[in-house]
This record gives sequence, structure tokens and C-alpha cells, in this order.
Amino acid sequence: MLAAPIPANDKERLAALRALLILDTPPEERYDRIVRFAAEEFGVPIALLSVIDENRQWFKARVGLDVCETQRDISFCGHAIVQPDIFVIEDARQDPRFADNPIVTGDPRVIFYVGAPLLEPSGHAIGTLCLIDHEPRTLDATELAILASLRDLLQEELSGGNEHA
Amino acid sequence: MPERPRNPIDMLLVEEQPLLRKTVSMTARSLGMGKVHEAATAEAAEKLLRERSFQGAVISLECGAFGGAAHNFTLLDRVRGGMSASRATIPIAVMVDHPTAALLQELRSRDINRVIVKPFRAKVLLDTFASFG
Repeated sequence: MLAAPIPANDKERLAALRALLILDTPPEERYDRIVRFAAEEFGVPIALLSVIDENRQWFKARVGLDVCETQRDISFCGHAIVQPDIFVIEDARQDPRFADNPIVTGDPRVIFYVGAPLLEPSGHAIGTLCLIDHEPRTLDATELAILASLRDLLQEELSGGNEHA
Repeated sequence: MPERPRNPIDMLLVEEQPLLRKTVSMTARSLGMGKVHEAATAEAAEKLLRERSFQGAVISLECGAFGGAAHNFTLLDRVRGGMSASRATIPIAVMVDHPTAALLQELRSRDINRVIVKPFRAKVLLDTFASFG
């Protein structure tokens, strides 16, 4: 397993994340409804608004997952935040970076993963909107664009924008 | 990916759910398909239909239904009757919760191009708009 990388600017990224005052806050409908919509749109069992803290990923909104956080080093989202664009793993069992990851081999059985990095207003990737399935999947260009739109709506909410999305 | 229309086109989406409307309009723009004009109510849609010419429309029939009626055909009749700024023959798809034989007969008589049944997904609406190109 390849542990989630720590970006060179992680200290600044974490400062930007903490300045959002979102970590360990209660669920909010404005985030929940977008994550619910994503789960229904794509027909996946798990959808998350995940933020990457120093040693953990924590879920501000979640569908289909009982835990509210996991370790950062085993997280897929920890990989996604260092990507320039949407990060897709069609079948984690076939990918040497993830095949023996405990969240692939055990619960919650992440086989398909897609994560769209969430940028806070100064441009740091603080987390992702991600979708997980227990079966391999592919997404076409329209589906990737839909996910990007939903990510953009979350970013508007994170920056204190649209109250009616 | 839906086949992109040869020229970006103006399309109308009449649907009450704000998140579905917004996702479709944002994604259509990002894919270069054209502009999806959003209407949350039948009244807002009537105003848009008076003011602007569209090359296609997707209309929720539950939007603006009143008086115990399950479906609102007013917008369809305005377009098909030539009482809008658009050509009377533009392609129209409708969104319905439960299609019945009687409803489908009503839609056939109005030359509706496609019926979209719940669950309403952004991808289906985008593919429909793309087919209008």
C-alpha cells in the first residue's frame, strides 16, 4: 500500500482548513443535501464530503458510512487532494497503490473511488467530494462534469456563498 | 459523453428541485452544450417562453399543477400552439412521476419527444438536451 502523500505545503493547507472552522462541527443541511444528491445521481452506496486533517480524514457530510473519521495514511482522499483534477480509481483491487489497503480488503470495501478536490478560497485542497462503490465502475465525461459541478456547489458553500443551491 | 450540439443552444428546464436544475445548467455550460435557462415555477417558465426563443425544453409536468390536477399541460400547449417565442415544433421532453396510459395519450397528442420518469437524474436530462442539438 502506498500511504497518502503529504504535500510540501501541508502546513499552510492545514492552516487554511482550520481557518474555515469546519472541523468537528455538526452536520449541516446545506452540505448534506449536495452529498445526498451525489449519492442518488450516481447510484453509489457511499458519498462523502471529506476533509483531510493532519492525521485523519474527517467527514463533514456522509451517506452510507457510519464512522465520522479514518486515518489519513490509508485514505484515498489523501491521494486525491494532491491531484490537479478529479482522481478516479476504477478498481482498487487492480491498483498496486491500493490493492492491500485495509479499507479495500476490509470494510468499507472501497473498490471504486472517485474524488473531486475541494479548494478553499485561497486555493488549498482541503478535502474532496468523493463517491465509493463496492463494485468496479467507470465514469464518462458527462458524469465527471456532473461531479465537478457538485464539487463547485460545495465550494460555494464553503466560501460562504450560495445559500440556496 | 452526450454528443455535443453543433452550435451551443438555448434550452429551457422547468423543474422545482433547485439542486437538480443548478447541476444541469452548470454542467451543460462546462461541457459547452449551451445555456440551460432555469425556471422553478410554471409562471417563471411562461415569462421565459414569451421573452426568448428556445431550441428545446425539458418540463416537469408536476410543476404548477393545481386544482387537484396531477399534471400541468399549459406550457406544452403554449409552445405547441405557437404562443411562445420559440418554434412550435421544438423538441420537448417531459418529466413525470408515474406515467399512465391516459397521460401518455395526452403527451402523444402534443408531439412530446421523450418522457423522463423518476428518479430524475442530471445525466439523463443532459443527455436529453444534447439530443436536441
